[in-house]
Amino acid sequence: MPRRHLPYILFTALVAAAGLLVTNTYHFQVLIFIGINTLLALGLNLLMGYAGQISLGHAAFYGLGAYTSGVLTAHWQVSPWLALPAALVLAAGVAWVVGLPTLRLSGYYLGMGTLGFGMIIFIVFREWASLTGGASGLVGIPPLSLGPLPLYDPRAYFFLVWIIVLAAMVLSRRLIDSRVGRALRAIHDSENAARAVGVNTHGYKLQVFVYSAVLAALAGFLYAHFICFISPGSFGFMVSVRLVTMVVIGGMASIWGAVFGAALLTLLPEWLHAFADFEMIVYGLILITVMIFMPQGLTRGLIDAYLRFKRQPAQPVSPASP
Amino acid sequence: MPICDSSDNRPNPSPLLHLEQVSKAFGGVRALTEISFEVAPGEIQGLIGPNGAGKTTLFNLVSGALKPDTGGIRFDGMPIQGRPSHELVALGIARTFQNVELFGSMSVLENVLVGRHVRTRCGFWGALTRHAAVRKEEREARQKALELLAFVGLADQADSPSRDLPFGWQRLLEIARALASEPRVLLLDEPAAGLNRVESDRLGDLIGRIRDQGVTILMVEHDMGLTMRVCDRIVVLDRGRLLTEGTPREIQRHPEVLAAYLGGAPAAG
Repeated sequence: MPRRHLPYILFTALVAAAGLLVTNTYHFQVLIFIGINTLLALGLNLLMGYAGQISLGHAAFYGLGAYTSGVLTAHWQVSPWLALPAALVLAAGVAWVVGLPTLRLSGYYLGMGTLGFGMIIFIVFREWASLTGGASGLVGIPPLSLGPLPLYDPRAYFFLVWIIVLAAMVLSRRLIDSRVGRALRAIHDSENAARAVGVNTHGYKLQVFVYSAVLAALAGFLYAHFICFISPGSFGFMVSVRLVTMVVIGGMASIWGAVFGAALLTLLPEWLHAFADFEMIVYGLILITVMIFMPQGLTRGLIDAYLRFKRQPAQPVSPASP
Repeated sequence: MPICDSSDNRPNPSPLLHLEQVSKAFGGVRALTEISFEVAPGEIQGLIGPNGAGKTTLFNLVSGALKPDTGGIRFDGMPIQGRPSHELVALGIARTFQNVELFGSMSVLENVLVGRHVRTRCGFWGALTRHAAVRKEEREARQKALELLAFVGLADQADSPSRDLPFGWQRLLEIARALASEPRVLLLDEPAAGLNRVESDRLGDLIGRIRDQGVTILMVEHDMGLTMRVCDRIVVLDRGRLLTEGTPREIQRHPEVLAAYLGGAPAAG
């Protein structure tokens, strides 16, 4: 068993333990949201952290997944398991069409391009009321069941979500460690040199953009059939910004960064309810503090803190030695 | 051309690289004007000229980073002008950069593995499934990359972060990365810039060994000693025009070259 597999095995065990030991429905709900957000952050982290391309409209793909499956199942009683591939294919197709021109942009311009795309999709969700239910939202989305096995029990849904998240983590790890992943990192480091060694830079950016959109649509599917009600507000600009924040806070170019970032940004609002009116201020302060003291993100920051902690005990001993 | 005398008695095999009346302007500035020359297979061809002569522009045209305004570039008889870099690398044209452009966040070995990009096939799907053929390809790529690191003398640095290497080694790594694409022509843009005497001599040997592997080399170089020592033929550019071409011996004696470039003093051979 290679050592690099160890963290994944430990994490799987942790997830399994949580699934078996937690009893409180509210706790399950939070853990499910962490899973959904991890899926979103994972795709975006690949795009931003590895390929170096920013997307300020990622909530649009999240929404496309949720609305495609929601509309198909609520309006036309399509099986969710048939609606899922439809949602993924639609998100992939839209990502491809949008990415083709916008990924030729870079830096701020790509940010603006994806921002505009996110706004357009948001407006479509809100204004195409006959299909999406408009601003008041889409009701009647059925919960999931697997054959005779109902998945609306929070524990069952927790396992469904987290099995998918773990699979996505392993697949993303594989992607990063492959020829494709090296090409993506090469683009991030020096697009010029990447082209010069034969990497079709635009093609790879497009591929990772589509991959991240598919993960986002998958997250949207899981969200829609968990809450069974969706409205445009869940897929607006602020959600896109929150996703970017998860990636940056968690740590760019890191699978674990996606998990940490998603967990922190999901848990913080829950913990901060106690601050009532000051909630957003405390929230902002915490994010600023993390960025000041851990500019590489939580993952790197925690590893560094651990290394410092390990070195510490050696120091008091040295003055005593002759 | 002034130099077409009896000393130029090579058999004239079909050229590997052939530039024909290539011109390039940036805005109103003419960087290159009607440049024509050939590079024969198996040769080490030097490209010299004062700063601003258009050497790097010419490299960018041949490697596909820029498109010529007019004129044609043929590689092994095939027109290549205007084709994107990644296609040219696949055809067998590799390059290095004047200012060394490595992938800084990656290890030495990974840099060379990226260099294998056009000789490996694993795509998105293969990366996700990691089936037997992909694992085999990955093993072979690593093997090949390690051989190349040994070839340039960096075998024991395989796992070091590439940005931590001393500058001279970064150059060697960049050459190994370029060789990983199994090029037929290697374009070296001032490979000796920033190297000390010893490193520069070793580089000269390395360039010779690369040619012995059957790779044709076109190099821009300011270090006259190195250029005269390793090159079979030299093309001289001056202010975007081809001044002359010939063997190092001919170039050293050429009055216009002496005037335009060597400042009147014959270079050390």
